[in-house]
Amino acid sequence: MSLSHYIALSLILCGIGLFGMLTRRNLLGIMLSVEVILNGANINFAAFAHFKAADPVAGAIFPIFVMAVSACEIAVALAIILSMYRHRKRLDVYRLEKLNG
Amino acid sequence: MSDIFIYMLVATLVMLSCFAVGLPNILHSALALIGSFMITAALYISLQIELLALAQIMVYIGGIVVFMLLIILLTTGLGVDDKRRKISFGKWMSSGFIIGLFLTSLLYFFSENDTGLADIITPKALPITIDQIGIRLLSTENGFIVPFEVISLLLLAALVGAVVLARKDVHIKKEES
Repeated sequence: MSLSHYIALSLILCGIGLFGMLTRRNLLGIMLSVEVILNGANINFAAFAHFKAADPVAGAIFPIFVMAVSACEIAVALAIILSMYRHRKRLDVYRLEKLNG
Repeated sequence: MSDIFIYMLVATLVMLSCFAVGLPNILHSALALIGSFMITAALYISLQIELLALAQIMVYIGGIVVFMLLIILLTTGLGVDDKRRKISFGKWMSSGFIIGLFLTSLLYFFSENDTGLADIITPKALPITIDQIGIRLLSTENGFIVPFEVISLLLLAALVGAVVLARKDVHIKKEES
């Protein structure tokens, strides 16, 4: 596999994730689609670090930061989902007009 | 690893990601997401970055997806929350059309304005060892020590925020007791 194949793969993953974000109605499903997009971005980082070896170690470090930030994001988002569920028993984004709990 | 094997892995990765996005039952999509993360770890190993594969398995599969599965089981009984889910065929088609337009315009843009970056022949990269990554992550000159510390602060803030958000409200607790 060459670099352009990996770029095409990450583009496809980004498209799949965007499609999921547009079609899902459940909040958890939207979080899942965001994970797919971040996965594609990480593959892109790793492929450039492997093939364009100007500074490969930095390219290997950036996905670790992405993973840490996405862990933070998922923790906060799931806490919000939990408290939202406790208040109104549904996670349908089309029925969440106001966010003041 | 031979090329055909990696192509098969990539095809499975795309298929599992489609499952993770499109399956109606959200528990099944989380399980498909675990498979796609596993295959991504295999791709990292084929790119000779072992630490990323380890971190992928430990952070994503061991942390994030398990957390997500817990929340799915807590909020939606076995993932079948979507009984009133009515996504019309037209909405599917319009979303697919928007995404297809986006992807083709991106492809067109990058094939028109070719920077030649993908064609430059560079020497084959050496495998990136865990030692290199650790030393670079904590070195003060040309390193990543400041983002590392900022990430630790961010993790702390996110943990405290998650606890505060997910805590039961005081008046609710009074009503229960």
